[in-house]
Amino acid sequence: MIEKWRLLDTGLNDAFYNMALDEAISIARSKGIAPNTIRFYRWRPPAVSIGYFQSMKEEVDIEACNRLGIDYVRRRTGGGAVYHDTEGELTYSIIVNETHRLISRDIQETYRILCSGLVLGLRQLNVPAEFRPINDIVAHGKKISGNAQTRRMNTVLQHGTILRRVNPALMFRVLKVPSEKVRDKLIKSIEERVASISDILKRDVSFKELKEALIKGFESSFKIRLIPGELTDFEKDLAYRLKHEKYTTREWNFKR
Amino acid sequence: MGKAIYKVKGGKMIKIQLTLENKKIIKDLRITGDFFLHPEETIEDIEKALRGCSLSKEELVRIIKETLTSKRAVLLGASPEDLARCIIMAGE
Repeated sequence: MIEKWRLLDTGLNDAFYNMALDEAISIARSKGIAPNTIRFYRWRPPAVSIGYFQSMKEEVDIEACNRLGIDYVRRRTGGGAVYHDTEGELTYSIIVNETHRLISRDIQETYRILCSGLVLGLRQLNVPAEFRPINDIVAHGKKISGNAQTRRMNTVLQHGTILRRVNPALMFRVLKVPSEKVRDKLIKSIEERVASISDILKRDVSFKELKEALIKGFESSFKIRLIPGELTDFEKDLAYRLKHEKYTTREWNFKR
Repeated sequence: MGKAIYKVKGGKMIKIQLTLENKKIIKDLRITGDFFLHPEETIEDIEKALRGCSLSKEELVRIIKETLTSKRAVLLGASPEDLARCIIMAGE
């Protein structure tokens, strides 16, 4: 019988809840009280997330974020700073136990395997997606998706974003640049290195269409069936607590 | 205080901030960047282990490797040599 995983679509939430919920589901999974799960989500208000090892003050223009109503949060995964636009991107997370057949001891290999679900899904949409180590998915050599992974308590969390539309100018208004002089240069270089799936397909791709394609990609690549499900009360309560006790705190967000 | 930024070829960005004692012993340092390290809090163990260390590439690499081994940690997107190189750049 085909293996069943839970599918969650938690819609639009703020950055702190989004990060808290990924951790809450991971903890529930590690305790054996949640199944392997794939979650789709988006960010409202828009937000910048930074990698675990990054410095908030060095990466993010906090004053610009405050002025524009953009949240900022530290992730529990490594990697770089990402601007999460409400309309411009879809985020997913995969939460799976570490002993699962999809998880290799080799982290680089696990990125390739888990990203293959996204690659296959994007190809369903006729995006010529390819995995590019360490943790990116590209099409025509341009980055369309960034991904980050952590392993804790025998559970793997991989989350990442798929660009539906891209706005390099806004991206560089909220991320720190070495100097004003290079801002335009950086915007140009991002335009050359990053693309959205709407750019590539030269049409507007809806969230619904994107999610449906990714579901097919995950199901066929991982040999699983995704069953739409709900959060448990445990996960909801824990996410609420983690949001208020961790992800909204200055101690966490400015710890490096 | 010394600072350095180093982009690993085919890898990630490393940023080092450090203060030295007698111009050669690490008093304090902070390693930031967009690399991956599992488990993540090993970064604090590496920073701690490097305090009191001299700016010798061999010594830095050895201490970073020892810390990774003892914590069963995995670094991705940067190597112990890359970290050591950036630390020395920041100290110069």
